[in-house]
Amino acid sequence: MNGQYASLLIALPLISAFFVPLIKGAGEKAVKGYLVLITTLQTAVAAWVFQTVYTTGKPIIVMAGAWKPPVGIDLYLGHFAALFVLIVAAVSFMTAVFSYVADIKPPADKYVMLSLLLMLGATGMIATGDIFNLFVFMEITSITAYALTAYNKTGEAAEASLKYMILGGIGSSFFLIGLTLIYGSLGTLNMAQIAQLAGSMNPTVAQVGLSLIIFGLAVEAELFPLNAWAPDAYQAAPYAVAVMFSAFVVKAGLYAMVRLLYLMQTVKSWHSVLSLLIAMAVLTVVVAEFAALRQRDVKRMIAYSSISQVGLIAFALALGTRAGVDAGVFHMINHAIVKALLFLGVGYVGVKLGGTSIEDFRGLGRRMPLTAFTLTIGSLAAVGIPLFNIFWSKIRILVAGIEAGYTWGVALILGASVVEAVYYIRFIHAMWFTGEGERIGEGISMSLILLFLAALVIVIGVYPQYAWSLAQKAGNDIFNVGQYIKNVPLMPLTGVGA
Amino acid sequence: MLKRALAIITLLIIGYWLAQGLTGVPFGQDRMLVGQYYLNNVIKQTGSVNAVTAIVVNYRGFDTLGEVTVLFIASTGVGALLWRRKKKRTARTEGSVVLTTGARLLVPFILLFGVYIFIHGHLTPGGGFPGGATIATAFLLLYMAFTQYEIPHGAFEKTEGVAGMSYVLVGLIGLALGGYFLYDWIWQQWHWGINDVGRLFSGGFIPIIYTLIAIKVGTELSGIIDNMLKEEVRE
Repeated sequence: MNGQYASLLIALPLISAFFVPLIKGAGEKAVKGYLVLITTLQTAVAAWVFQTVYTTGKPIIVMAGAWKPPVGIDLYLGHFAALFVLIVAAVSFMTAVFSYVADIKPPADKYVMLSLLLMLGATGMIATGDIFNLFVFMEITSITAYALTAYNKTGEAAEASLKYMILGGIGSSFFLIGLTLIYGSLGTLNMAQIAQLAGSMNPTVAQVGLSLIIFGLAVEAELFPLNAWAPDAYQAAPYAVAVMFSAFVVKAGLYAMVRLLYLMQTVKSWHSVLSLLIAMAVLTVVVAEFAALRQRDVKRMIAYSSISQVGLIAFALALGTRAGVDAGVFHMINHAIVKALLFLGVGYVGVKLGGTSIEDFRGLGRRMPLTAFTLTIGSLAAVGIPLFNIFWSKIRILVAGIEAGYTWGVALILGASVVEAVYYIRFIHAMWFTGEGERIGEGISMSLILLFLAALVIVIGVYPQYAWSLAQKAGNDIFNVGQYIKNVPLMPLTGVGA
Repeated sequence: MLKRALAIITLLIIGYWLAQGLTGVPFGQDRMLVGQYYLNNVIKQTGSVNAVTAIVVNYRGFDTLGEVTVLFIASTGVGALLWRRKKKRTARTEGSVVLTTGARLLVPFILLFGVYIFIHGHLTPGGGFPGGATIATAFLLLYMAFTQYEIPHGAFEKTEGVAGMSYVLVGLIGLALGGYFLYDWIWQQWHWGINDVGRLFSGGFIPIIYTLIAIKVGTELSGIIDNMLKEEVRE
């Protein structure tokens, strides 16, 4: 099949979202079933793209309107994008099933549209090869996220959404100014061409532009000090939305940040920007872990844990070494699986028992044994115990950190990990060793999804080779900028002042 | 006091740093790398005499599809957050004579002007976004003048969806005919309007897309107004 059909990754969710107003008369169940159907189709398309890219070893370049870059906009579906687009689609499918089972506050049709568009935005951010197009998709993602955060229409949801909106708005404008500086000095918006010309940029302009972009994306990537919105948003948003936030929205932001960072590695002030990002990442880990320790609400606790893991990923990716990038990408994959598992499990408990405070989890081992079992696997994995997937990526990150000479960062992260072990073990203890209760029926579809994710955690934990090879290929896609430039069929242009 | 002083000092440092960056990109010295290419080839490749429109809808049409989506999200988000089981207009005072008479007289002309703006998008400044916004102001005027006025909410929502779908469909037809998503099949494959450059029937799929965008933007913004003006009624 022609590689251009990969544009369906964008076209399918978009046309499906526009179609929802026409079928909303069919009722809530039908609309939610429609969401499951579309996310299944999207997963199929993404699986096809993944399969094509990983068997041929070559990226798919989608050229919108048949215009060659940099004149037109291209989508770059390399090893990284192909893998993560599949993750986005698969997680969206799982949340769609969750939403089908759970009660969604009306209007369900709007919820379905927004979910599809969130998936679209993250897919676009990961796939695009044009920096302004990245901005557009970032807007799509973040505005959808504001709306979904406030979706429950409670007071705290409105507050969380407003916080998010203000920070997100500031972030977007930072990003836009940074983008303008780069466009103003290079005259192009194509990412491959920016990478090609970056060496000729004035170092001060490059430093200011790149730092502004990093600060702008740090809001989406939940890095300290711009992540104050995140815990509130995770707590107030519907359960399925929290899954999407943690599993792929934050990943899209991180990826965009790191992609731009590495594309501009020839600028002379590059290392100062790296140090900035490392400091932000380490602070994110430490602050989030200590905040998580104090939480009484499990959903919020896992949100903080998710933020700290994201800081760990950012640390790995900002090391500037091949080993760091590979380990960071590996951790991104593992984190997506584990946090999808944890948030889905906690959400399922929230739906069944009506709340997610630690009291609701007492005796869960008796009341919902299967959910409690998968949550235990997820928690043990999150702590980083051997034979679970996160162990492998965490250890690789720490080794890469020491190799790159950031021993202080590694020491701080290790200290924070001890804190993480404390609150996860407290959580496991609450589920199995306290409380009593009657057995509650667990639905077959959600049980299957939770078991599937838990199985993935263990399979990767025991046989990490395959996932690690995927991560290495995807990491190489980010790290090897020369190859990236070569893969994009740039049209030779001669312009004034270039 | 100390906090404020610290904030001011931080702001000054950041401001200085930003200014340093901005002076590195001198104003008015444009880097015409891609821009020059557009100017040299726009008429031949897109059939639109308005280079800005050609870039917005054709060369960078993918971005525009995204922008349309952003507006769609805004209207969907407002719809989701202001959703109530039953909503009604609650305005009490009718508009003054000047307003009601003016609204009756002006609405058709505002609509006509909006249509003019988007139909001529490939020839003159303007296009689907301002055209659609102009159309929405006509409905806003009706809302302000008459306390009982309501747009047909359901029909508008469906029209909005159909217009959005048609935009994606135009792109998908390009994928089917020319092998590329958002490929301008009307201009590049069918060569329609090749002798009419600078007149109404030219510019490939630009007028079609701008018409769809205008319908979409017009219904969307009217829908937002409608959502914001109505209030919940309790039974």
